[in-house]
Amino acid sequence: MNHREKVHRFEASISPHLGAAYNLALWMTRSPADAEDLVQDAFLRAFAAFDTFRGEEAKPWLLTIVRNTTLTWLKRSAGSPMAFDELPGHEIPREPSPGPEAQLLASCDRDQVRNALAQLPADFREALVLREFEGLSYREIATLSDVPLGTVMSRLSRGREWLKRLLTRPTEAPAR
Amino acid sequence: MTCQEARLLLMAYQDDELSPADTLHVEEHLETCEACRAAHAEAQTLSQLLRDPELYAQPSDELASRIQFAIRQQQKTAATPLLIWSAVAAVFIAAISIAVFLNRPVPPDLIASEVIDSHVRSLQPGHLIDVPSSDRHTVKPWFQGKLDFSPPVPDLSAQGWTLVGGRLDYIDRHPAAALVYQRGKHECNVYLWPNAGGNSRALSQSADRGYQVIHGSNASLNYWIVSDLNLAELRDFAKAWE
Repeated sequence: MNHREKVHRFEASISPHLGAAYNLALWMTRSPADAEDLVQDAFLRAFAAFDTFRGEEAKPWLLTIVRNTTLTWLKRSAGSPMAFDELPGHEIPREPSPGPEAQLLASCDRDQVRNALAQLPADFREALVLREFEGLSYREIATLSDVPLGTVMSRLSRGREWLKRLLTRPTEAPAR
Repeated sequence: MTCQEARLLLMAYQDDELSPADTLHVEEHLETCEACRAAHAEAQTLSQLLRDPELYAQPSDELASRIQFAIRQQQKTAATPLLIWSAVAAVFIAAISIAVFLNRPVPPDLIASEVIDSHVRSLQPGHLIDVPSSDRHTVKPWFQGKLDFSPPVPDLSAQGWTLVGGRLDYIDRHPAAALVYQRGKHECNVYLWPNAGGNSRALSQSADRGYQVIHGSNASLNYWIVSDLNLAELRDFAKAWE
């Protein structure tokens, strides 16, 4: 594969997933400027590694590189983005009910959801973004995040539970 | 299916990750259980909230073109080392070719040409001989100290060849002894230098520019004989000389 052909094939198969790459990087970093730099970096890495691309699913392949690039950057940055226990008592299962909380949830607006998602621990947020935004399967998320399938399910379950709690906290989400 | 079992499968059901059999079991349970139905509805509400397209971060057009530019630059920077390596390889191959060319044995026809050149030059006035003597006992010692071998100088007067003299020459990058014989008006040069390979070779001949060339090797010497004599006469001479 000569270089012109490589660029051509890369732009045909990988570049269409720029949106997914940026979305993941933005939700992981919560910073548009950093996300742009990381996505560009990830694309150059992806291009360098394109010879190893064997025509598998392009989106998970690219997102793996985006995730690794972003994680490396996050670890180098100050502070730990991987802290889990920012919210107390998240292990306590809440009984779902068709009562006021469900209506509260249904009445949430987009900014509330955006803020709540941004507050989630990084691992949960990552799993939710890959599942809800990108529609990746558990298996794909497990491969991409390099964790067992059970961990993916646990992160998704706990992430959703956290999100519900954040969105239905009376102080932050007053009923309308 | 109990509620407890259903709740364990509910998330995977929502995410469409259940086997068809489990999917059926969960759906049967949801038909009959209001609490689990509520839980499922809540999960779906949350999922719908997240799937708001407005939450999906869109990259700027500027990022797309920046990346496209960077990728194509990558192509150029990647191509440059390739060009350099090609150039290096070309020079390397050329160097090897030259080395091979310099080291390979010079083809006999090139030596023949060289021998004829030398022969023609020797016929120009004043070039033929360094040591004018018909006496082989004068000619042979003359080479001592001038060459690192001692050329044989046979007496061929019985065959009609008169020794005229000897000369130093340089053939095929070797210092060579040139012996000059004469019969009638015809000069004949015999070039001798050590046979590095040590393999003797039968006589072979070639012709160029009106001159006949015969050459051969014995265990110690290469010899080239050149003259304007016809081939049969030169062959007689060569046999006599051998």
